[in-house]
Amino acid sequence: MYWTGLSPDEARQFLANKDKSKRDKRISLKEAVQKYVKDGDNLGIAGFVNARQPIAIVHEIIRQGRKDLTLSFQSAGLAPEYLAGAMCLDPAKNSIKRMELAYLAHEAFGISPLLRYLTENSLIELEDWSNYNMSARFKAGSMGLPFIPCRSPMGSDMLKTNRAVVQDCPFTNRPIMLLPASHPNVALVHVQEADIYGNCRIQGPLFTCPEIAMASAHTIVTCDRLIEHDDMTRYPNRISIPYFAVDAVIEVPFGAYPGNSGGLYYYDEKHIPEFRNACEKFRKGDRAPLQEYYDNYIFGVENTTEFINKIPLSQIQYVQKIEPGIRLDAAYTVLGS
Amino acid sequence: MAKYSEDFTPQEMIVVAGSRTLIDNKVVFAGTGLPMVAITLAQLTHGPGIVPVFEAGAVGPELSRGLPLSVGGSRTTYKANYLLGLNSAFELTQRGFCDFGFIGGAEIDPYGNLNSTMMGSFPDGYQKPKTRLPGSGGASDMACSCERTIIIMVHEPRRFNEKIDYITSPGYLDGSPNARWRAGMAGQGPYRVITTKAIMGFDDETKRMKLIATLPGETVKSVQEATGFELIIPDDVYAFEPPTVEEIRLIREVIDPKGYFVRKKIKE
Repeated sequence: MYWTGLSPDEARQFLANKDKSKRDKRISLKEAVQKYVKDGDNLGIAGFVNARQPIAIVHEIIRQGRKDLTLSFQSAGLAPEYLAGAMCLDPAKNSIKRMELAYLAHEAFGISPLLRYLTENSLIELEDWSNYNMSARFKAGSMGLPFIPCRSPMGSDMLKTNRAVVQDCPFTNRPIMLLPASHPNVALVHVQEADIYGNCRIQGPLFTCPEIAMASAHTIVTCDRLIEHDDMTRYPNRISIPYFAVDAVIEVPFGAYPGNSGGLYYYDEKHIPEFRNACEKFRKGDRAPLQEYYDNYIFGVENTTEFINKIPLSQIQYVQKIEPGIRLDAAYTVLGS
Repeated sequence: MAKYSEDFTPQEMIVVAGSRTLIDNKVVFAGTGLPMVAITLAQLTHGPGIVPVFEAGAVGPELSRGLPLSVGGSRTTYKANYLLGLNSAFELTQRGFCDFGFIGGAEIDPYGNLNSTMMGSFPDGYQKPKTRLPGSGGASDMACSCERTIIIMVHEPRRFNEKIDYITSPGYLDGSPNARWRAGMAGQGPYRVITTKAIMGFDDETKRMKLIATLPGETVKSVQEATGFELIIPDDVYAFEPPTVEEIRLIREVIDPKGYFVRKKIKE
């Protein structure tokens, strides 16, 4: 048995020695990545496919360059695709060693061209799991358990190459699957609202963000907006990630763009295909469009604000306009008689 | 006006067949793409009480804000009755709250096992596949733990194989008696396979795929010819009722007007 990231005992020891004080954790994204993301780290990528993916954090990692990364996620799209593209263009600057994943593609926008490129050329190592498996592995980590039992996908070929163990349940005597906990070195999380201490309020589906943040040694949070601490704690049971699980908070409006951030902006149906098509051309042998994309939108800018400035305002307005704008405020009205 | 549409694509046919297979008031765990379209069509026709569940966390939403581009997108959450995250959605499934899982795959075998992971030799070629596919996502969890599964497939010989390269989402495994139970799965397994050419089920004894109905324009012979293994052909195979003008109108004008999932050309 081997662990990627921290073993359960290392993860426990790490927290024992950690400063859990309630302090202002605002810091620049550049500093946060410098401080917490190291070569060889296991990164827990939060969000789900192209919703609330940590795009701003990933772009900053790519600008700085990190090598031999392990990426752990359930279903993801843009974040691993961007890291894969950076590796394709210059593996001496950015590289992925391994992915522990359930799904990498873009749903309605199509498959992941660079997952195909990297795997079909045997450039990365894979460990396939199901969505529930990856979610439950983060959950085990967040619960301080070394493993978690699970009833799917028993019978699948995934069990032949991943670290799951099938044993007879000591109580029912029926086969049950045991999954090793996942403790990434760093969780990369984007949420709609956070306060300066790192408390996060997620609007819409939580995906597996709370579990990833709680399981990881460090957590970097970007938020579309910082809100007052008093507004955050007015509804304590709407706090999705508690401050002591967070190391750095950075207000990055559009930090999940061109993906979806529930209640704020929808998927950009123009920009996602623009990027994905450049990836597809790379897979087919034409590297110029991908190089041009990175030079323009990632290496040619300092931060997310400059990236967004390159997108036509009408396009940004459109993704805001079509977002359903459902806000799950923790308020209520009394039912009329 | 004619009752039946005379102009529909194979994908629209699949959506109509999928929709009609769904039963009102059942909880249906939906994978991305055509299953979402079929559930919406069913809700707008015979199944207003269908409860959709999406793996990113939404349970029982109204799908009236436009077709979701993703099972994690905001449009899956509108007026949802319960909304947490992936763990909660799959825990509901494991507990037994989900009657049907609605999934697809790239490749299927006679026992309803699905591949959505890789083409090539497995396990020795796992780290260097011939073609890498997106991976399981939640499909394998739905296949194991929803009470029954409904499978949607493009019907081509290369996708229907006696042996598939990789089992992502288990069906009846090798078809031996109680194979799923012995493997430790909770759900009962595949219920229907809905394709661009036919509706199929599984033989109670052998667990092999059997033809139930042929879709418009198809015959028992044409369906068998498009299937890479031998189907069981019972005596009571019937011709499936064609899509109505109204069903096709709902798909094109109301559910997927931009053609995200339905009008995509099927790759040969």
